[in-house]
Amino acid sequence: MSTRIDPETAPGIEPPAPAGAERNYFKRDLIGSVVVIALIAFGMEAWSWVAPVYIMPSIVLTGDEILTILVEDYIHIVTTILRLLFAVAFSLVAGSLIGVVMGIVRPAEPFIKALVVIFTGVPALSWMLFAIFWFRGTEERVFFILAVILIPFYALNVYDGIKALSTDLVEVVETFRPSRWQVFRLLILPHIVPYILMTTKSIIGYAARMTAFAELVSVNTGMGARMGLAQDELNMQGVIGWTILLVIVNLGVQAIVAWAEKRLLKWRPEVSVR
Amino acid sequence: MTRAVIELDRVDRYFGAHPAVLDLSFAVMEGEIVALLGRTGAGKSTALHMIMGVLEPTGGTVRVEGLDPYAQFKALRGKLSVSFQNDRLLPWRSAWENVALGLDILGFDRETQRSRAIEWLENVKIVGAENVRKYPHELSGGMRQRVSLARALCVDPALVLLDESFSQLDHVTSKALRADFTELVRRLGKTCVLITHRIDDALEMADRILVLAAPARLALEVRVTRAGRADPGWLEAQHAAIAAAMGGEDEDRGEAA
Ligand SMILES: Nc1ncnc2c1ncn2[C@@H]1O[C@H](COP(=O)(O)OP(=O)(O)O)[C@@H](O)[C@H]1O
Ligand SMILES: [Mg+2]
Repeated sequence: MSTRIDPETAPGIEPPAPAGAERNYFKRDLIGSVVVIALIAFGMEAWSWVAPVYIMPSIVLTGDEILTILVEDYIHIVTTILRLLFAVAFSLVAGSLIGVVMGIVRPAEPFIKALVVIFTGVPALSWMLFAIFWFRGTEERVFFILAVILIPFYALNVYDGIKALSTDLVEVVETFRPSRWQVFRLLILPHIVPYILMTTKSIIGYAARMTAFAELVSVNTGMGARMGLAQDELNMQGVIGWTILLVIVNLGVQAIVAWAEKRLLKWRPEVSVR
Repeated sequence: MTRAVIELDRVDRYFGAHPAVLDLSFAVMEGEIVALLGRTGAGKSTALHMIMGVLEPTGGTVRVEGLDPYAQFKALRGKLSVSFQNDRLLPWRSAWENVALGLDILGFDRETQRSRAIEWLENVKIVGAENVRKYPHELSGGMRQRVSLARALCVDPALVLLDESFSQLDHVTSKALRADFTELVRRLGKTCVLITHRIDDALEMADRILVLAAPARLALEVRVTRAGRADPGWLEAQHAAIAAAMGGEDEDRGEAA
């Protein structure tokens, strides 16, 4: 797996977690988070007393900025979230299908595999520049960048999943003489669901940051683009405000994936809630 | 008991130059329980795979319900089912959903699947709404194998094939399951071929024992009557004769102790 994925831009992708005890770290994690957030906020506030406002604005100023954004600029938040969810959903379906084809249609395997490996080697920044040259429309640009970066992750992980499918299970399903579609529905699809979820879990934070980055580079709507605008105007409380909102969006989508994982993998003894 | 459900006529199967099954002929009649008995590597599973239709014979003919199970694979849909040594339950399906797998493939609606699956779970002595909903990892080895047997029976097949389905369980669990299964299959009048390498299991369960010696050829045929099964002297004599025909017994006979 390590050779196929660009270590510079890629998050760590793990196969579905091996059997392990599910432990409840929730309370401990919560205390840790609250302490860290308080310390960061205190540090920033203390810094703002001695630094000029374009280096570090005060908490009140930043909070005010966030409120303004939520009231006047919320459409950019919605835009970014929709772009992210749509691109991830599309990449999930397209990438998984490619992974299934790689795993099932033997002759296609080496070609698709080579293609996927080459694609993952292209830096994300190159895709962003290509997108600017190739597409006029803003939505096409962001969608293209995200899809081209995310699809290979799904394809490779689902491909690994298909290869890990036990021949014992294939044989037992075959004893009932199913159609090809039934084999897909009853065996392959449920088998790859954990791989798809694990992939989503490990790329979603990365995808959220990539969305903002793609917006900053290639378009003028969405959270990333607004952040760029704040920077142009030397509006530091704007940059920090957007950053905090991006962190919240990022955590929000991760929570959605964690929830989906818990629901869809309830049949597994080792669903990890962390 | 007039109709032959399975007919093998001079069947060979080679893997490269190596014969796994050689000139094997036998028939299994409707309602009969037949054991294919032989040492590990005797070619039992190879014979079974040809009956299942997943392996093509190198020579000879195999017929199941008058059909060629390999060439007419789909035509035997719902007519035969198999249970293996390991339970092979789909981990994402609950107990009843696993039992209903064949019904799902045959196109029954979910309510029918559910009610029939629960009925079959009762037949293999898994009862209670709670147990029926459990996922495979929540069940014990013996219970998983019971679910696996219920899955094989649930499509109401003309023929049930068992490949060492009792040999991975501990002695007590295996014995109880063998007794329950035999009783059930006899009550339903199902035709059944069970593969085993254990002489005692074959003598306990089968109406007729086909002893195979490697490469799978018929070395001995034994009919087991109710009277014979109850007679320790007869059983002892048969045991010795079968062991000789098999070319010795596999090591794990003393496992019970
Ligand atoms: N797919 C295969 N390829 C090559 N040899 C095989 C294959 N399947 C079985 N054999 C050989 O055929 C012989 C019989 O095997 P098998 O039918 O599995 O025996 P049993 O089930 O009685 O233990 C063995 O020598 C085994 O190595
Ligand atoms: Mg075998």
